[in-house]
Amino acid sequence: MSDAGAPKSRRRLPIRNPQDFWGSLTVAGLALLALWAGRDLPGMDGFAFGPGTAPRLLAVCLLVLAGAVALRALFVQGSRVGRFHARGPIVVMASILAFAAMIRPLGLAVTTFVCFMIAAAASGETRWVEATITALGFTFGAVLLFYYGLSLQFPLWPAFML
Amino acid sequence: MADLISNLGLGFLVAASLQNLFLCLIGVLVGTLVGVLPGVGSVATIAMLLPITFGLPPVGALIMLAGIYYGAQYGGSTTSILVNIPGEATSVVTTLDGHQMAKQGRAGPALAIAAIGSFLAGCVSTVLVAALGAPLTSIALVFRPPDYFALMVVGLIFAVVLAKGSIPKAIIMVLVGLLMSQIGQDIETGIGRLTFDIPELADGIALSVVAMGLFGFTEIIRNLEGSVSRDVVNAKIDGLMPKRADLRASAPAIWRGTILGSILGILPGGGAIIASFAAYGLEKRVSKHPEEFGRGAIQGVAAPESANNAAAQTSFIPLLTLGIPPNAVMALMAGAMTIHGIVPGPQIMTKQPELFWGMIASMWIGNLMLIIINLPLIGIWVRLLMIPYRLLFPCIIVFCCIGIYSVNNSTLDVVLAGAFGLIGYWMVKHDFEPAPLVLGWVLGPLMEENLRRAILISHGDVTVFFTRPIAASLLAVAAGLLLVAALPAIRRKREVVFVEE
Repeated sequence: MSDAGAPKSRRRLPIRNPQDFWGSLTVAGLALLALWAGRDLPGMDGFAFGPGTAPRLLAVCLLVLAGAVALRALFVQGSRVGRFHARGPIVVMASILAFAAMIRPLGLAVTTFVCFMIAAAASGETRWVEATITALGFTFGAVLLFYYGLSLQFPLWPAFML
Repeated sequence: MADLISNLGLGFLVAASLQNLFLCLIGVLVGTLVGVLPGVGSVATIAMLLPITFGLPPVGALIMLAGIYYGAQYGGSTTSILVNIPGEATSVVTTLDGHQMAKQGRAGPALAIAAIGSFLAGCVSTVLVAALGAPLTSIALVFRPPDYFALMVVGLIFAVVLAKGSIPKAIIMVLVGLLMSQIGQDIETGIGRLTFDIPELADGIALSVVAMGLFGFTEIIRNLEGSVSRDVVNAKIDGLMPKRADLRASAPAIWRGTILGSILGILPGGGAIIASFAAYGLEKRVSKHPEEFGRGAIQGVAAPESANNAAAQTSFIPLLTLGIPPNAVMALMAGAMTIHGIVPGPQIMTKQPELFWGMIASMWIGNLMLIIINLPLIGIWVRLLMIPYRLLFPCIIVFCCIGIYSVNNSTLDVVLAGAFGLIGYWMVKHDFEPAPLVLGWVLGPLMEENLRRAILISHGDVTVFFTRPIAASLLAVAAGLLLVAALPAIRRKREVVFVEE
């Protein structure tokens, strides 16, 4: 902290609390985005709120508060931003996206199995034989529960097979 | 009193129908299951099961969902005691003494006391919900828009004060939730707001999508960071029954936990998590041997487990009487009611007494089921705990996807939930709490509606919030709370409450 005050690093702002600073700054950006997105909404009409009144009110409050917290983070010591891991979030998201893309054309059975296998790749501890057997069992159970048990509106098999 | 008895009679009549008994049983079993399994929370589960309740009659659906919630409080203790990992966030403190007891070969008594405490707490809080229902409902009838607005402000402030971590950041989360709840059609003019011209956003983003993302997917992504090894106590659990000395030691703790939990459950923003922490803290303070805590003190199991169960049940009070969900789970219950065309609030009791009292009676029946079924079933739950997380989490992910998709047959909802999972992960890394965000999201439309009405009725006079006695005193409470929480001494204590692990 004391070496942050050394003359050469003066030009860079010393951020004492990066976690709060970057977090709040992002939120402040969100508030600006909301203000921009709602720029065309009509505001107060006499005593009556317009559609744009509440969103603008909230966005301004958010902007002020988030700005204040970010500003405070420049001066008050705090924690660093936690380390992000890549594999978990990316693979989980891939599995979710695969589900969204597959469920309509390919049906419940294939989608469940494939998404299970993709998701399993998110963990380094996965053993593939074991995972495949579980995936088959889980797919069977899911089809029984959702298709036959609850008769939800899913196609069961790929559309081109019917 | 006679009214209360006849009302409860009606409730038991409804709850004891074969179908409702069956749904209650399913609810408590599913609840126990998700409670036992770490990494599967009750919020995500209820969100997942919302679509399943579509085909059920409303009373049955709500009885089942309620069963999941208090069943989860029950099941959470099993994992805490046997594995030293909390099965539910509400059982975090139970790990401290519960697991120590298990290591000393006293897993049986620890599990039994947790069950007995939960049951007694459930009984007391059922009566409390029944007794407080009527008077609170009549209070609700004199509430006008400004008062409702002020009440919700109090609720949000409670959520902020009781959240862990920094207060300004919790307020930021509340505001983000409120702002995001504005996405979609304006209630009065029907103009799309903040929709970025995406037609699917015209109806706003469903709460179940947000909840599943922030509580379901985020939890998984976070769990994947470390290896989730489990060290299940393998010693045979024999001698389930606690000794007489155990019972005598834990009886006062159960009562104190129940009372504290009931109070904290009613408060908006509170709920079962804070109740278990507070009960543990209280027990340690009043104990003559505080040094035993953390080394297998049975009070350290009895108090928090009673408190979380009591709080889970009394948190239905604000929802059923005032129509205001005090926490994320109740928000989902409100969502479930709306799906079935029931508007949560004071009119439930007068217009649908069989729903109101049936639910309350089912809570007692559900607690009875839990204690009868679960003690013999502990062996099965232990075996379930042996399922490694590497096989469990893909199941949860796919199950969540199917659940979200089936609500609206919308693939965009699935993608959005995934996006909220990533947002939740970002929030974890920046130490932002998801609970205040969800509460803000839920209360947003209600607050806006009441604020608009209040301003319109008073012809633009903002002072109406300070001249109406109810609104003014509620806002004063909110301001007072915020002020007190910001005091350095209290702030330090807040930190202590949450750090005690």
